[in-house]
Amino acid sequence: MKYTTIINGKEFIIEIEGDGTLIVNGEKREVDFLDMGNSLFSIITNLRSIELAIDHEDNTYEVLVDGRMYEGQVFDERALFMAKRRGALGGGSGEVKAPMPGLVVDVPVALNEVVSEGQTVVVLESMKMQNELKAPRDGIIQEIHCKQGSSVEKNALLIVVGEAE
Amino acid sequence: MTESRQRNITKVLIANRGEIALRVLRACRDLGISTVAVYSDADRAALHVRNADEAVHIGAPAPRDSYLRMDKIIAAAKKTGADAIHPGYGFLAENADFAQQCQDEGIIFIGPSPSAIAAMGDKQSARSAVRRNNVPLIPGTEAGLHDDELLNAAASITFPIMVKAVAGGGGKGMRIVNVPEELPGALRNARNEAESAFGNGDLYIEKMLVGARHIEFQILADMHGNTIHVGERECSIQRRNQKLVEEAPSVFVDAELREEMGKMAIAAAEAVNYVNAGTIECMVDRDKNYYFLEMNTRLQVEHPVTELVHGLDLVKEQIRIARGRPMSPQSSFLTPKGWAIECRINAEDPYNNFIPSTGMITAFSSPKGPGVRVDSGVFQGFEITPYYDSMIAKLITVGDTRQEALLRMRRALSEFVILGVKHNIPFHINLMNSVSFIAGQFDTRWVEERFDMRTYESDPTDTDLEIAAIAATLHAHRERQLAAQVVAPAKRDTSNWKWLSRWERVRR
Repeated sequence: MKYTTIINGKEFIIEIEGDGTLIVNGEKREVDFLDMGNSLFSIITNLRSIELAIDHEDNTYEVLVDGRMYEGQVFDERALFMAKRRGALGGGSGEVKAPMPGLVVDVPVALNEVVSEGQTVVVLESMKMQNELKAPRDGIIQEIHCKQGSSVEKNALLIVVGEAE
Repeated sequence: MTESRQRNITKVLIANRGEIALRVLRACRDLGISTVAVYSDADRAALHVRNADEAVHIGAPAPRDSYLRMDKIIAAAKKTGADAIHPGYGFLAENADFAQQCQDEGIIFIGPSPSAIAAMGDKQSARSAVRRNNVPLIPGTEAGLHDDELLNAAASITFPIMVKAVAGGGGKGMRIVNVPEELPGALRNARNEAESAFGNGDLYIEKMLVGARHIEFQILADMHGNTIHVGERECSIQRRNQKLVEEAPSVFVDAELREEMGKMAIAAAEAVNYVNAGTIECMVDRDKNYYFLEMNTRLQVEHPVTELVHGLDLVKEQIRIARGRPMSPQSSFLTPKGWAIECRINAEDPYNNFIPSTGMITAFSSPKGPGVRVDSGVFQGFEITPYYDSMIAKLITVGDTRQEALLRMRRALSEFVILGVKHNIPFHINLMNSVSFIAGQFDTRWVEERFDMRTYESDPTDTDLEIAAIAATLHAHRERQLAAQVVAPAKRDTSNWKWLSRWERVRR
């Protein structure tokens, strides 16, 4: 199987062959990958021993190594094709989801507006606090799925920031 | 001391949840005292419930329907025959009515008297009580004076000063005034703003402390007239008045200042005839002028740092004092043994303005080893809900020196695995790497005004990224293969687990 994996914005082509051989960006790698249960994994590669934890929701993977969190996506060839069509490759998914249930108090952007990374796109009130949700990347507002006054569930898709033309 | 004043405690109801309920439960176990937990619908699976000897359900998840229901908690104590209630911190811990009701029902409240809670619970009454014992207060005026009175009063306070609205909040009606000439205009503006925001234009002024630290003293007092302090805690690392990191001792406090402030803290507690454990919170400016801020009439979240450098169990002392016995220490603690640091691990996203995060903890593995203590009430599969505070754990390290404690904290933070919710461990890692924190140079405004997550974060190396990519890919690959197998189970005679281990052998 051939995968395109993006971690913190950097792209890796990773092939896993039928006999388990692993090839990263065209180079063979010896990797001993052990599932310890409870989301914990142990890797030994090139004599380096690494303990890590992996969590994922849909296709967004979080990998925790020594207190540092890496985030990314894993695409097989079909998923890669679909993602490229959506323009969701490269600068992260561009999706802004509700981190918790809450009430949308403001959507200070409009469709097709050009935004930059870190710009507030939704203000969500939850736990009696107003939380500003930011654009995860530079781009244009491609989709808006909420409006002022709407109640949203945790993980509801609120905004999609797409590639600027 | 007459025997009749001593009261036995054989069963304690813990009117709290989370890590502090577990903390109190463990002290009771150490003392051979039985425990009663109370719990809301959201906490049936919580550790404090599972580890207690008895457990009583008290209502719906929202605190006002459960952990704040005095009637239900007292009924639970009667039903189980508990002779004492420990309130922990938060919820009913500083509620004078609750302490009074316990007393009226013949249940020992493990804490101060209702009158001491009430006296310290109100800012004005606390100030007037401690003033009688010559405790220094932040210079300022009373509320509700006219402009000319305020202008006169300001002359005796050194600038800069703060103009504050009595009904204030959120910075409305507040002005910082650096020179006397600006004061009349500032008073006018602040009064208008407070009038329109709160319908109340009453103002007062207060000296503004520049570069001030938050330093607090642990107090213990028993029913035999002994009041001591157990040293200071440095709590200046905070954000929006929420403490994030605490230390004992403070880099800022030398032996002389400790002795002086300790005496002041004892005097403040004695002003309300305080009994049991409490904390005197102070602001200390750059010139080591210190001022009483308030008294917390309960066990503090950050009490472990004090325990680790002074070698005592504060909850055990609380229970001992509540039993009417003399506390075990004979005198104040003037010499800390080593250094302790506590990081509050909260479900908050440090990369996203510290937004609270809720959800299920999908992985949890806490650090261990020399000099590490973790006080936590969570586990893998535990749900962080919006009903209660966002603290996941308190990570405390101790060493012979501040440097050793700090290095252990770095190690412990990198060992800590928490997945499923966003948390502030990256913040703590960056903090432990920051030059100002290492040098002990910070004040209460430092995190909010000058700390930046990006300053101390190095970019990951290509190898680090590659390892993360390989791990994510192998995990995804395995799950997809398994999913394919589950769809067609009849084609294979071995179980998925056996298949998985075979697959792992192939991988080696």
